Formats: sequence, C-alpha cells, structure tokens
Amino acid sequence: MILSLLLLSAVATADESKTVLGSNNQALKEGADALQFGDAEEGIRLTLLGLRRANTARERQTAHSNLCAGYVLVEQYQDALVSCNKVLAENESHWRARSNRALVYIKLKDYERAEADLAIAETISPQSRSVRGVRRMLLDAVNPVAPNVVIDERRQPAHSNEN
Amino acid sequence: MRISLVLVCLLASGALADESVRIDTGERVPQTTAVPKYPEKAIRDRIEGEVEVCFNVNRSGKPTRIAVRRSSHRLFERPSIRAVRESSYEPLPDDIALSGIKTCRTFRFFLDPVAIEDPTEID
Repeated sequence: MILSLLLLSAVATADESKTVLGSNNQALKEGADALQFGDAEEGIRLTLLGLRRANTARERQTAHSNLCAGYVLVEQYQDALVSCNKVLAENESHWRARSNRALVYIKLKDYERAEADLAIAETISPQSRSVRGVRRMLLDAVNPVAPNVVIDERRQPAHSNEN
Repeated sequence: MRISLVLVCLLASGALADESVRIDTGERVPQTTAVPKYPEKAIRDRIEGEVEVCFNVNRSGKPTRIAVRRSSHRLFERPSIRAVRESSYEPLPDDIALSGIKTCRTFRFFLDPVAIEDPTEID
C-alpha cells in the first residue's frame, strides 16, 4: 500500500520528460528500480551511491526524494523527513517530495503539516494517483467514517407519468 | 314471469359478486430486502448521496422494469439497481389481479463519522 503511494522520481520519468535521468547515473536509476520493486534496503544503498555521483541539482533532488521514499518503506520516518526537507529546501515546488513528506507526517501523526504539504502537492499535480492516495490516507487518519445505507420505500400509482 | 326475472337478476348478481377479482393495491409484502454495498471509491473520496429506483413487482414477487429515477451521483446507481434486483416480495395470490402500481425505493448513502481511540494514549 505504502509503496504504491510513494513517488519515485526516476520511475516517473516516462510521463514527465523533465525528470529524465541520464544514463550517467546508473546507481540512481537502479536504486529507483529497487525501491519500486519493494527492495528498500538495496534501493537506499544504491540511491546513496547515486547521490555521491550526482552532478546536477536535479539528480541530487531526485536522490533525496527517493531516499525519503526508501526511508518511509523501512519506517525510518525521521531519516525520511531529513531527505524530503533537503529536496524542498532546494526546490519547494517538488511535488513528489511534498507528497512523500505528507506521507511521512501522516506516519508521525503530524496531520497539520501533512495537510499543508498535501495541499501544495495537490495544487501542483492534482491528477497524481499517488497524491490522491495520500489524501485518502490523511482522510482516514483524521476523518474516519463508517459507511451506511438507509432505504425508504413508497408506492406510486400506475397513472403517474413521472417515471 | 316478473318474479322469475328478478330471481334471475339476483342470481346473476350473486354469481358476479362471487367471481369478482380483487385488485392488488400495491401493498406488496417484502420478502427479502437487499442492502446495496457502499462503493469503495465513494468511501475513499468521502462521497455521500442518494438514488431513487422505481420498479414493478410481478406476480411471483420479483422486481421488474427497474429504472433509476433520480440520482445524486452515478457511483451509487449500480449498487442500488443490484440491490433492487436481489430483493423480492411475497407472491401475489391467484385471486388478486396484478396492478400497475410502481414501487420506488430511495437509497441514502451516508458516512457516519466514527471516533477511533488510540490505545497508546491515556486520558
């Protein structure tokens, strides 16, 4: 469940050409793949390696954003927060990091901060499936509900033309 | 002759009274009432709403000509129709004629807020 909500920058390259990573940082790419397949520890290791080899701000941000996701997977929420904060310090409109940090805040039960980050992520990328998933998680945390259906029945004369 | 004519009339009216057919007043007795499933997507997105479904009930008690008459959200229509289809009424006795009275059911889908207590927190 969590894995599907986490936003991995390298994985999202197919639908957003601006985040395409060059093949010069193979570790970063392989780290994203490992995280995508749920191998969080290997993903973190490779992403840290990719971070050391990062040549551009974009690569660095991608690495930190994916580290944030990886640390969420291994439930190291404080480490995840540090990584997400590093991305957002450089690029406050990095919606993947916003969404990931919102998820971290939900895990830490800091719902106000989660709401603030999520609202920004929704503004930047309202159609993202992951962002909507995080919204549902937040709603379930702060506004849990029980579904209910009430049935009323009545008769309607045959001559009525309403139907 | 006159007496016999009156007698014939009386007999005829009596016969008619015995053979008269009672008409279904529409008060069919529900046998099973299926409750629609609240759509998962509607729960996740916190959507509430209502659907009115109208239908006829045939002689054997099965709903027929099921149609949505009013709906606040399409998400609720399919489960409402399914619930009506899975419902039934008691069969109509043979001496009662089937009427064209429609039955309409309104399904109100709503989400009750629930309070969940955190077992780790102490008051």
